[in-house]
Amino acid sequence: MKKQTLFTTSNVVLCMIAITLIIIPFVSDSRTMIILLTQIFIFGILAMSYDILLGYTGIVSFGHAMFFGIGAYSSAIILNLYESTMMIFILSIVFGMVLSAVLSFFVGLLTLRLKSHYYAMLTLAISGLLLVVAEKWRTITKGNDGFTFRAPEIFRDRMMFYLFVLACLIITFMFFKRFVSSPLGRVLIAVRENEQRTASLGYKTLHYKVIASVLAGVVASVAGSLYAVSLRFVNTSVMSMDITLDALLMTIIGGVGTLIGPLIGATVIEFAQHYLSGLARDYPIFERWIIIFGIIYILAVIFFPRGIAGTLGNKYAQWKMKRSEAKTSKTYSGLESSMVDKRGDLK
Amino acid sequence: MELIISLTINGLATGMLIFLLAAGVTLIFGLMDVLNFAHGGLFVWGAYTGIFAYAFTESFTIGIIIALLTGAILGFITEKLIITPVYGNHVQQILITLGLMIVLSECIKVVFGPNGIPVSVPPLLAGSWEVGNIIIIKYRIFIIVIGFIIYGLFHYILTRTKIGLIVRAGVMNKEMVQALGINIKRVFLYVFMFGAALAGLGGVLMAPYSGVIYAEMGMEYAILGFIVVVIGGMGSYSGTLLAAILVGLAGSFMAYYVPYLSLAVNMIIMVIVLVFRPQGLFTVAKG
Repeated sequence: MKKQTLFTTSNVVLCMIAITLIIIPFVSDSRTMIILLTQIFIFGILAMSYDILLGYTGIVSFGHAMFFGIGAYSSAIILNLYESTMMIFILSIVFGMVLSAVLSFFVGLLTLRLKSHYYAMLTLAISGLLLVVAEKWRTITKGNDGFTFRAPEIFRDRMMFYLFVLACLIITFMFFKRFVSSPLGRVLIAVRENEQRTASLGYKTLHYKVIASVLAGVVASVAGSLYAVSLRFVNTSVMSMDITLDALLMTIIGGVGTLIGPLIGATVIEFAQHYLSGLARDYPIFERWIIIFGIIYILAVIFFPRGIAGTLGNKYAQWKMKRSEAKTSKTYSGLESSMVDKRGDLK
Repeated sequence: MELIISLTINGLATGMLIFLLAAGVTLIFGLMDVLNFAHGGLFVWGAYTGIFAYAFTESFTIGIIIALLTGAILGFITEKLIITPVYGNHVQQILITLGLMIVLSECIKVVFGPNGIPVSVPPLLAGSWEVGNIIIIKYRIFIIVIGFIIYGLFHYILTRTKIGLIVRAGVMNKEMVQALGINIKRVFLYVFMFGAALAGLGGVLMAPYSGVIYAEMGMEYAILGFIVVVIGGMGSYSGTLLAAILVGLAGSFMAYYVPYLSLAVNMIIMVIVLVFRPQGLFTVAKG
């Protein structure tokens, strides 16, 4: 009962945030702000897909950039080869999703039956390989120089694109929210908590882990497609380790296993990147802002493994519990304590 | 024939360098169950400090010693500050060592500058021998010799000394070793420092071989190192040597005969190994 009301409160807050975000472009005409927010949404989608892997299934991937890159390159190449209409763009997203699904399926099948280290290593290696392929296959990718292409007519308007990306973000968020509370999502969480036990309960854990891997890959590919169109330019940097690190930092700092955490993380990191690179002109130390994030990241893993959202959520839950306890203890102090005793016995 | 010999020497030299990196990774994994993603960072720190010491003192030996020391000191700090707090939690270990990797390679850019630094081969080892029609580059032979010496040392320590005995026993069953009154945590620390020192050595030897050092090389070689560890079997140092040689040779031959496949060849070997022998090519299954 209590959980139900909490859920609606957070829903109302989320709706309000969403509405604010929809209104922003109509009110403010700061171009930089719109572009920055678009960027945040795209990386938010990427970080949420990463959270499905890391936070919900407990799989560490160091090659998430490859799916992002596959999406970016399929959209860029297809839009470059054919006319740039909305239809073609949607098709290119689907194409990227299919490619990512196939790749993540095989990677998952190969390594997820082994210890968690193997998935991390193999994804790291394969994304390294794909980066080199993107560099060398110059006829299609134009290598490190990259190429520009025409975005669909409707996205020439920054605002339209902003709204489109925001819609994608909201759909992804709602889909994931639904997904993690579905029976399938529950099994994934069980795998994270105790894989052997889940297996002994009769679930084919490999099967579920591969599903998580494919889902994360497919969504990351969508984020890549959007990213390429937002820049109207693509080069090998979309495949680079930096993208994986961004996703990793956003998820860890924001809070693993919360979905809202990666969005908070994306916001924090994108804003920080934006302002710190502005500061770098005056203070050269900020050019290496990634060190600061690296240190924060290490400290977060040691001291706040649940990130911003998780830690705040815990605090909030504790505070709520204390308050409700204080309330009930006034009126039903005897009843409450006897119930606590019973619960203690059960444990 | 000449071609095959010189390709073999190339392959062996590359393989030995990868071995120096991968040996530490595999030993640390075998004993501590920690996959150290920061190993590439130690490698690149070894390369930079060693080369700067060499440039400063003009003695390559001092460069090597400095690289070994840097590796060991960084290994000590890493084990104490980074690995100990997350001991036993695999996901956290993987994440935190990768974080350290980022910090280490970014610190390189702060301390030594972001651009690549050209390195020349020390004069004593520069040049080449001509045997018949074959040109043998001295430095490559030097690397191969060092590699075999390190392997021999490794083998000697692990099979002939007391600490080696403890380490081997620890790989098999650390609780038992602990129960016998040996401070296994201390042994972990030594092994970690030793592995880190080897990574530093690999870095400084790599520098004149590739001719240039840059901050990202840590990650590149770390990936090769991981591939080797997977092929050779985690925790097996002999398997690592064979796998490193295999990867080095495959790389050098493929680069000559089928250049466009040279990138993928390691990956293909690794995928085949993962499909058919996920425990690694050269490991004997533990009882």
